[in-house]
Amino acid sequence: MSAIPVVGHIADIQGRPRMLWTQSLSWVLFLIGIFAYTQFSIVRHKENPEDRVIPSGAQLWQGIKASVLEPAEEDDALDPGASTYQRVTHSMLWKDTVSSSRRFFIAIALLIPAILIGLHMAVFPYAEAFFLRFVLFFDKIVALSLLPVLFIVFGIDELSKIMLMVIGVGPTLMLDTYNIAKSVPREQVVKAFTLKSTNFDVAYRVILKQIMPQVINSVRLNLKPLALFLFAGEMIASTDGLAYRIAIMRRHMGMDIIIPYLLWVAVLLFGMDALLRVANRRLHPWF
Amino acid sequence: MYSVNLENSAAILQFGCKNCLCPKESKSFRLLYLVALALCLSTAMGLPVQANAAAPTFTVGWSVYAGWNPYFYMAKSGILKRWADKYGIVIKVQRFDYAASLDAFVGKNIDACTMTNMEALDMPAAAGVDSTALIVGDYSNGNDAVLARDNLTLAQLPGKRIMLVQKTVSEYLLERAMDLNGLSAQIPQLRLMNTSDSDLVGAFLGNQGNQVAVTWKPLVSQILAQGGNVKPLFDSSRIPGEILDLLVVRTDVLKRADGSGERFAKAITGAWYETVTQLASGSAPAISGSAAASGDSVASYKEQLRTTFLFSTPKSAVQFSESPTIKQKMDLVRFFCFRHQLLGQNIASVDDVAIRYPDGSVQGKGDRVRLRIDSTYMRMAEQGRL
Repeated sequence: MSAIPVVGHIADIQGRPRMLWTQSLSWVLFLIGIFAYTQFSIVRHKENPEDRVIPSGAQLWQGIKASVLEPAEEDDALDPGASTYQRVTHSMLWKDTVSSSRRFFIAIALLIPAILIGLHMAVFPYAEAFFLRFVLFFDKIVALSLLPVLFIVFGIDELSKIMLMVIGVGPTLMLDTYNIAKSVPREQVVKAFTLKSTNFDVAYRVILKQIMPQVINSVRLNLKPLALFLFAGEMIASTDGLAYRIAIMRRHMGMDIIIPYLLWVAVLLFGMDALLRVANRRLHPWF
Repeated sequence: MYSVNLENSAAILQFGCKNCLCPKESKSFRLLYLVALALCLSTAMGLPVQANAAAPTFTVGWSVYAGWNPYFYMAKSGILKRWADKYGIVIKVQRFDYAASLDAFVGKNIDACTMTNMEALDMPAAAGVDSTALIVGDYSNGNDAVLARDNLTLAQLPGKRIMLVQKTVSEYLLERAMDLNGLSAQIPQLRLMNTSDSDLVGAFLGNQGNQVAVTWKPLVSQILAQGGNVKPLFDSSRIPGEILDLLVVRTDVLKRADGSGERFAKAITGAWYETVTQLASGSAPAISGSAAASGDSVASYKEQLRTTFLFSTPKSAVQFSESPTIKQKMDLVRFFCFRHQLLGQNIASVDDVAIRYPDGSVQGKGDRVRLRIDSTYMRMAEQGRL
């Protein structure tokens, strides 16, 4: 047992790397990524000091400062005496984050009925007969191709963007919930009825309760498709939002804003995912 | 030399492969196979180098637009090849989406690209890519328009939602419309909705609540054809020469030490004016060939050409690009770009992205020239020296 891993150990299933190794190994790819980026950036800036395709650290820092502290270009300028708090809450990034999050959370709220429909499909045979075939079919429709129809039906404002997310992710979530709920052993249902459960008890207190952690995990996996649909909607028609800004900045190679925005979106999604994960563990410690 | 080598190695390769399956002889044939592979690899690697040494290759990117479609016909009809051969180079023409073509140009993946004067300023020039406008092809003479329902007037626009692709000539046109009608003060009150050009027509026509849109042809024609109560409020024929369509080449490509860049400039300019002459004389194959570039019908393409002021002779193009007018127009455009931060977050003054004109005068700081309007090659075409 030596402290330094022998080459043989690295490929060993039974290997037990020390804390130091697991910690440092997990950062290697990040470092490579940052290193590669810097290298590319340096090379490009050597050739053209004003390069905007791969902004340098200084350019990025300026971009971050501008997006966090300055109001968006279409808004009025702040008076110079504003406090940092005021500056942040009137900034471009803040404004875009608020409007994108609003759409995102409304869509998530509208997905709760989708979960319940999935549950009912799995538990009640008549609901299954009514919904399943249609949902299976509808799930295969590429939601983005419906966009022109959505614009006509729901107008070009918020609703069409939210509906794009709901229509894109809803059927998947329904089917996933349906499958999870179906896999609950039939014996449990029978047993519950012998203990004088009502239909409602079986559906909500026996089945929903125990599939909840898996459903939350399914929502976690669907965060990214949700974000994708949100971005698609915002890029096609909007007046604000994170993807709106990225679309606008793309028109003149504003990578110094786009890259911080991308990272910010990643952080937001990561945070949301972590929140759901922790909530899941707290709420369902038995899972 | 090469064809011989390739044939040889291909023959060996086939022979070797067939026999690899046979276990008894496999050893010697494996060796042969390796040799064949090595031969193939070396020829494959040697080929592009040889080709490069023989004829420098240039790639021109273009995107669908009435004034740029002729590039498609030019390449397809063989006009371009004839001119390229004359100057001993190879010119490839590649179609892009507009935004993607600009990305490719700024990323230095292509050597020359079609773009408007506004994008020439806010994409390559503002990103520090020194570029030269070789050909001033045309200007929009009604191709871009502000459209509105219900007999709205420009003065009624503030507060109404306006659908357009923001930060493009559409927004420029809208601001110019307000300016020219004495409504400059109202510009900040305009409610702009950034709408992708691919969905603009459907989204605008699908809902009567959308009252105003700013866009370009053929989208303008589609909207006017289908929307009964839609009328153009303002179009680019009222601002002639402000929305220019250029062929832009990277200055470092043009100034290559071996002179191939200049040969490229001569070849493409020569081919362009031959094409445009055909187009202007109403030659049927030229028009249908250019219409085919965007999948338009001949009638629709002709309609687009009517609102495109084509500089159909080198003389007219030279006259325009050497006139004081172009400086006034470019001044409007560069201030628009600066006002909208299109020149970049850290450009503190509009003069930091300077433009150089054919007479040597510079708009902006002399040491920060990023865009050059160059009439040299158009002038050569005029004098028949290409």
